[in-house]
Amino acid sequence: MVDMGNRNHAPADDLILSARANFRRKAGAWLGQGILFAITSVAALAVLFIFYFIARDSIPFFASRGFAEFFTDTAWYPSREPGHFGALPIFVGSGLVTLGAVFLAVPLGVAAAVCLSDVLPFSVRQVVKPIIEILAAIPSVAYGFFALVVFAPLLQDAGNKVLMTAWWILAGPTLLLLVMVLGDLSTTWVKNEKHVRAARITATLLIGCVAAYVLVAGARFMGAITIITGTNALNVSVILGIMALPTVVSVSEDALQAAGRELREGSYALGATRAETLCRTILPAASSGILAAAMLGIMRALGETMVVWMASGNAAQIPEPFFNYLMPIRTLTATIAGDMGEADHVTGSDRYHVLFAMGLCLLAFSFICNLIAEWFVARQRRKLGGE
Amino acid sequence: MNNIPTSEFAVRRPPAVSVKTPRNPAQAGNGNQLMADSFSVYYGPFEAVKKVSCAFPVGEVTALIGPSGCGKSTFLRAINRMNDLIPSCHVKGLLYFGGKRIYGPKLDVTVLRRRIGMVFQKPNPFPKSIYDNVAYGPRLHASCSRRDLDERVETSLRKAALWDEVKDRLQANALGLSGGQQQRLCLARALAVNPEVLLMDEPTSALDPKATAAIEDLIDALRGAYTIIIVTHNMQQAARVSDLTAFLYEGSLIEVGATSQLFTNPKEKRTEDYITGRFG
Amino acid sequence: MMRLQTRKLLDRAFAGVGVFAIVLMALALIAILLPIFQRGAGAYVFRATVEHRRQMLDLFERGDEDVLVKEMQKALEARQPVLEALASYRADQSERLNEAIGAADRLAQRDDLLGRRIARAVEQLRHTADLRQQIDRLSRIEQLMRPQSTPDMTDDLDLIRDITSELEVQAAQYGELTERLRQLLGPLPGDEPRILPRFRYGQARWDRALIKQSQLLYIEEWDYSDASAMGRRVLSPRRDLFADTALYPLFEHIENDLEAMLRPRWTFYGRFLTDHSVDAHFFGGIGPEALGTFYLTLGAMLFAVPLGIIAAIYFAEYAKPGRTVSFLRSCVSTLAGVPSIVFGLFGLAFFIYTIRVSPGKSVLAGSLTLGLLILPTVIRAAEEAILAVPREYKEAALALGAGRWRTVLTVILPAALPGILTGTVISMGRAAGETAPIIFTAAVSVGVALQPTEVFTQATPALSWNIYNLATEHEAVDEIRHVQYGMVTTLVGIVLLLNIAAIWMRARISRKLRG
Repeated sequence: MVDMGNRNHAPADDLILSARANFRRKAGAWLGQGILFAITSVAALAVLFIFYFIARDSIPFFASRGFAEFFTDTAWYPSREPGHFGALPIFVGSGLVTLGAVFLAVPLGVAAAVCLSDVLPFSVRQVVKPIIEILAAIPSVAYGFFALVVFAPLLQDAGNKVLMTAWWILAGPTLLLLVMVLGDLSTTWVKNEKHVRAARITATLLIGCVAAYVLVAGARFMGAITIITGTNALNVSVILGIMALPTVVSVSEDALQAAGRELREGSYALGATRAETLCRTILPAASSGILAAAMLGIMRALGETMVVWMASGNAAQIPEPFFNYLMPIRTLTATIAGDMGEADHVTGSDRYHVLFAMGLCLLAFSFICNLIAEWFVARQRRKLGGE
Repeated sequence: MNNIPTSEFAVRRPPAVSVKTPRNPAQAGNGNQLMADSFSVYYGPFEAVKKVSCAFPVGEVTALIGPSGCGKSTFLRAINRMNDLIPSCHVKGLLYFGGKRIYGPKLDVTVLRRRIGMVFQKPNPFPKSIYDNVAYGPRLHASCSRRDLDERVETSLRKAALWDEVKDRLQANALGLSGGQQQRLCLARALAVNPEVLLMDEPTSALDPKATAAIEDLIDALRGAYTIIIVTHNMQQAARVSDLTAFLYEGSLIEVGATSQLFTNPKEKRTEDYITGRFG
Repeated sequence: MMRLQTRKLLDRAFAGVGVFAIVLMALALIAILLPIFQRGAGAYVFRATVEHRRQMLDLFERGDEDVLVKEMQKALEARQPVLEALASYRADQSERLNEAIGAADRLAQRDDLLGRRIARAVEQLRHTADLRQQIDRLSRIEQLMRPQSTPDMTDDLDLIRDITSELEVQAAQYGELTERLRQLLGPLPGDEPRILPRFRYGQARWDRALIKQSQLLYIEEWDYSDASAMGRRVLSPRRDLFADTALYPLFEHIENDLEAMLRPRWTFYGRFLTDHSVDAHFFGGIGPEALGTFYLTLGAMLFAVPLGIIAAIYFAEYAKPGRTVSFLRSCVSTLAGVPSIVFGLFGLAFFIYTIRVSPGKSVLAGSLTLGLLILPTVIRAAEEAILAVPREYKEAALALGAGRWRTVLTVILPAALPGILTGTVISMGRAAGETAPIIFTAAVSVGVALQPTEVFTQATPALSWNIYNLATEHEAVDEIRHVQYGMVTTLVGIVLLLNIAAIWMRARISRKLRG
């Protein structure tokens, strides 16, 4: 069956290369790898190019106007002659919407991630994942269009109803839960078995009355707020929050998954409930990863342009009081996008370079966020790697 | 065809081998001998194979046995330099194939690997058609005509006793075959480049008994035409298929000898302990 | 220590919060996509009036002229009562005017300087055709005469004053009415021809026609009487202004017979995607924008995919762990975090002002910028796909004597291809949807579809940019909502299709790997 003659088909190659062939092969490999490395470097070093060119075009601004006006002044009149470039309100605007988006996205995102990794069965997860992906895939201009054309009129015409509904949905269950837990905790000192029940009901009722008052008062307050315009910081924050959600969910879910089954089993074996296991064991173990998720969420919200440009009102003013989310604001990204159209024609002037200065600030901030996020991720890996 | 006779090599450098002479050197003139001379393999500072010296007679089946982690797979993979993939891995000592140093500076690894074929523990056909799997090697090394290629594929599949099962579906995806068929396909793929040596790294550990028997039958059929080195966990298998058996323990070669002798009358105490199941 | 029951309750609540978050996410998705798709579909499928078919024939030469002529005939027949009402109202008005002119004639009978001046003015008035101007002149005569009038003139002057002031009000009301009527049905007989297509046709879409109808039938006013609250919208029927005039029946016609006048019919306007826009998107489709997005996306992919795959091969197969490689990796992850608008700035400063790939904004500059933006995504996806290829494949190839390059090209890349494709398709969606990077590098608001050879020098409209532009900067934002929604739907549809394809592909890969 075995055909020995077949071996004669083998090419007459020699194990040992001649000196020339050896050199050629080594040189070829070296060259190939060199080209590969060069191309990769170009791709990777593009970010340095970006830093350089943004910085180069922002230096003229700082050289001619200094730093104090840009960072501390509140008067933003770039088109006046002479111009005035106090960008503080714009920084505040960017900060406000980013903060608002993060306050929305991080709790919701982490809750969703916990649910995905530990609560939902596999089949449901398979359905939820695409939802998150699609949420992440929708172009920002579509979100902006929605914010401007659907959400802003809704806020303007029925803003109080929206706020009240949100209050009921969020505060109602939270307060109910708080009442029950506090009712329980406040009666732990009662040792007598007979009195425990009565004491608990009394305490729960008392606390419940307070909670109900808070609930109604809150709803009244929400109903009484006047909303002047629908294109405001709240609108943008909500939309940016939704946009940042997928990032937060997927990164923190990875972190939770990485915490491992052993940790969970250890906690369950001690009789902890799922909530206790997650809150006391898994979330602390995954905290670095979750912080990284929050940083990435911040980056997403801060760097977003179209939504804020379309739906933030673009008013370069610090809201009165500064945390008033119902005022129109203006952000760095929207200023760059909006002003470049006019500034472009007078290349070389401060008005053009100030936009690069803003770009540099954005770039620096997202670079720092990215570093922090990477550091968190590395720490998470170290921590769970057991080193 | 390499015409350097083994005797020339022996004159140039007499290796310190523990088996003094191959059992039937005269009949094995067709191939190139594989020899190790105090050959060590390191993973970083850890010495996984310690100063192994032995020769693998041409045309015979040698089994490497030993407990898990004794370095037998590492040694096997060092023979066709598959360990090059592992960055921390380096070697000391000498390993010869047909009188050439396998770790010599000018050795062409691709030619070496063509001439020393390998079959892995887990069947690993490419996610391509059955035909493309077998034709992969020949296409790499020679530009042969379509007819030659067809012929080569058929011969290889026949040698692996797979032809009758797959001849009607050569274009089907190889991943659709059963585990045993996949392993035989891998064998056919290795045979298609006409190697002189076949390294088998526990080729049957992932297979059911029936498929295992088929592979063992194949090894038996290939005896004489190829120098076969097989790593196995299963001592019965070693006893069934091999002419020679080498026992490795903690990286060292403890004993090597004719299979019948080693299993019935081991010279070393540790070999006896292992064979009789006292450890491992 | 809490009671077990409370602990369990907290546990449930904890899970509940998670489920709530996920439900909220799903609801947000529905809340965003539903209105967009629902109204966006209206750009493609809608009840088109006969005006739409007229436009199609005039502007795009589509449709059967004979059929349309017949249909137009019927529509015009249905519109006849409206025109008649207008005509008889105008006749009534000129009758009233003649009364006033008669009074002026009487005044001109005076045989003095004043009389002659009046006679001259009346003569001029007779040569004026426009009713409005006639009224104007009359009232000027009246105002001129009043200080010099003698008591015998008072009656006539009063008559002229009454009639002119009455007619003035009526003319204004009439003018507004006819303006509404023009918007609804197109130019009225006797109008001067206008150049812009938006003034040459009535409403092409039945839904817009209904809005115009209600604007015609009702006058919208804002009630600010309650100072503490926002203004309230109040609608009052316009017909009340024209009670007891010849125009009164017109409103009934408009209210009841509008369908006969415009003949709406369900129409699928599939060529919305490819038609060029007419008169700043009042009519036509979004062809140039869709084509621009296609060019930009294609260009970005051509730039980013080869580069990304090569970099991924380097990272996954060649790079030895070390300081250089980890630096390159951090560079890539930083690149992924750069805000998209900064890419735009960079594209402007580098591609256009520094290396001058084109004299100004161009598809090429935009593609390069977009390509840079998606590069990290492509690298990551490709690297993951390559790393996911089982090590056994690589070993098998090497054991058969394949070189490193051969192994990568013949085994690893083919095995990783579906994964790479998935990542590529997702980043394609990203490139198609991004706006900020192309604002300064490639996008213009109004433009024609580019020829493939023009992409190196010409700027282009693009879906993403024009959504912004039409929704915020267009002169009649409310009139062309359907176009905006149509654009958003098209863009989101493209992106979603790409992503669904990617999700499906990935599911197939994982099924395949599981066997």
